[in-house]
Amino acid sequence: MSLPNQNPDLEESINVSEAHERVIREAAACARENRVVDNGIGSISIWALIACGVVLLIAGGVLAGGGALFSYKATFREGYVRASAPGTADSGPVPKEALAAYMAKGAKIYSAKCNGCHGSDAKGNGSTYPSLVGSAWVNGETELFAMIILNGLQGPVSDGKTYGVMPAQGVGMAPEDLAGIMTYVRNNFGNAKGDVITTDMAKAALEISAARKNAGNSATSAELTADHLRALSGAMMDPKTLLDPVTLAPAKAP
Amino acid sequence: MSSAIQNSSDQDALLRAGIDRSLRHPVMFFMTSGAAWLAVSIVLGIIASAKVHSPGFMSGCAWLDYGRVFPSHINALIYGWGFQAAFAVIIWLMARLSRKECTSAGIILTAGHIWNLGVSLGLVGILSGNGTGMPWMEFPSFVWPVFLVSYTAIVIGSFIQFRVRPEGHVYISQWYLLAAMVWFPWVFITANTLLHCIPGHPLMAAGINAWYRSALVFLFFTPVALAAAYYLAPKVTGRPVFSYSLAKLGFWSLAIIGPWAGMQKLMGAPIPFFLPYVGAAATVLFFVPAVCAAVNILRTTLSSPAVVASSPSLRFMITGIGGLILLGLAAVWLNLPGSTLPLTQFSLSGYGFEILAIYGFFSFVMFGSVYFIVPRVTGREWLSRRLIKIHFLFSVYGIITVAAVALFGGLQQGIGQEEWQQPWQGAATRAYPYAVATTIAWCFILFSNVFFFIHLALMWLRLGRRSLHPTLLVSDAHHGPGPHGEEGDIDNAGPGHAAAH
Repeated sequence: MSLPNQNPDLEESINVSEAHERVIREAAACARENRVVDNGIGSISIWALIACGVVLLIAGGVLAGGGALFSYKATFREGYVRASAPGTADSGPVPKEALAAYMAKGAKIYSAKCNGCHGSDAKGNGSTYPSLVGSAWVNGETELFAMIILNGLQGPVSDGKTYGVMPAQGVGMAPEDLAGIMTYVRNNFGNAKGDVITTDMAKAALEISAARKNAGNSATSAELTADHLRALSGAMMDPKTLLDPVTLAPAKAP
Repeated sequence: MSSAIQNSSDQDALLRAGIDRSLRHPVMFFMTSGAAWLAVSIVLGIIASAKVHSPGFMSGCAWLDYGRVFPSHINALIYGWGFQAAFAVIIWLMARLSRKECTSAGIILTAGHIWNLGVSLGLVGILSGNGTGMPWMEFPSFVWPVFLVSYTAIVIGSFIQFRVRPEGHVYISQWYLLAAMVWFPWVFITANTLLHCIPGHPLMAAGINAWYRSALVFLFFTPVALAAAYYLAPKVTGRPVFSYSLAKLGFWSLAIIGPWAGMQKLMGAPIPFFLPYVGAAATVLFFVPAVCAAVNILRTTLSSPAVVASSPSLRFMITGIGGLILLGLAAVWLNLPGSTLPLTQFSLSGYGFEILAIYGFFSFVMFGSVYFIVPRVTGREWLSRRLIKIHFLFSVYGIITVAAVALFGGLQQGIGQEEWQQPWQGAATRAYPYAVATTIAWCFILFSNVFFFIHLALMWLRLGRRSLHPTLLVSDAHHGPGPHGEEGDIDNAGPGHAAAH
């Protein structure tokens, strides 16, 4: 940027005032600006300090209100049941008919354990995975069906064909799970037995399975028809009995 | 005045004028397109707000569903207006304070156009139903790398100017600017990579998203606005900043507290237990940096009441600082886990808090900066005092209504939501009158900002007044009756008549 007062031939004072006028005209907004200074030494007002102190206390209260901040158990409470709302008699979840309650449990197990091979329509694929729809074993004696689920199966199935080897599904399976899955498969996908496999029956099945001669190996057609062709022990349940859908215990109508 | 001093102050003025000239088009581009996006955002906000109380409004058009219009409104406000206003202030203020001319105006302008393209494509994406559904990050995911690259191109020059600045003191505004320039990419890259590139558990994703929103307000918009306020206050009044130590306290408390806030939005969700509580405590503590900066700036300016009354920059900026104090109080009041926090999680209150931060605080300080910067970069004075007053009054009434209504109405709505045995209709009925008021207030704000945009566009076309005198809000007895009187004529005012502004 060339300034007129850099010309050595002219009096400096004249040029300074000329230059100044030029600045005023061309950079008026800049020329009238103040300089920015930040060296103020004003004292921090006691009221601001008190306000900040109060807020610090509130923030401390917020943190302390959390209680055990790093406790895993505070986040994920085992066996948590929602408390009933104040002023209401909360009787837990709405009761369901037995068949629906067991089938709801079974649907979850089916999608986790069975869906992968037998498919969402339970028809299998005809070559490695057999269909469960209309199967004589699925719709037949309950102990036999339970043994297949718990221990898996190799060799021919009820229609005489041999598919792939079915792995055992019984590991870690609770009686409610087994009862649910059996009820679900026997009353879904076109099967319509209309009976409920109760938790008691499933308990009996787990005991029988544990006492098998060749426990730990897959069941075979020969073993199933020889040893397990009978119904599981336990009282039959009316499919319309009202149950608590979580615990499957009998419940009163709301 | 001795000639030597005069000479050096003239050289100084010419240097500053040179810096301003080098930044004319980038700064004016960001401000003008930002103002245009602001108007677009408000139109979308009005439509969204109208749908809250009149669900049948424009219901035939799928592009204007509430679920699309509302995110478009917020995203246009943040990325269209907020960021572009911040860019204008960052590049101008950093160049001025580092005393370096801008040498990359072309790059900045190109990057600015790309940023605008990103906002436009993003909005089309949201309105056509391709939004991501993550609040404040609704733009389709191809937009964020575009933003990141153009952001880098825009601010890299400011980093360089700071690096090569003349030796010596680093001014308070530079702390805040530099912090915002570093914090934004940190927040932006963290949130976007965690949510778009390596998606984890969806609950934690919601937490990260809540943190992103909070961090954008506390770690980008707040420091940029405070940088501008710390510049305008001493610059326009000519007084030193009230207390240097208070400024330091305010800056460092923000730096320490800001990053922890945000996750309180997920209070009660099964994320690690301490996160929501730390978030709530940090948001409550935001009061401390807010009040430090606000007290400092108000003590600097309010001892010159005449200047405050006449300067549009100061009037807007001080209103924004008022918004900051309210924001600090709201941060305390809305984040008490035992009482208010559950009421704000799913109600209008969260929106009210965000609008208070973006419009009530940040935008007002940005308006103040615009009224200060534009006459310098264009070499023209603002056309009309009346237009500035309209902008100010309608904006103030509008934002007070929107913020107050959303905060209080949101709590009412929250109380309705907590009554879980009543039909949801109850909560909607409680929010109804507040929603109507919000729509009307947004109309006021739209009215004010259309005039702001027109005024700004005329200034960019260099149709402003050629004058030595600033456009002040009260007529000065020394300089004739009004903006169209004698001060409008450049030849009537000789050297030495220029008022301090």
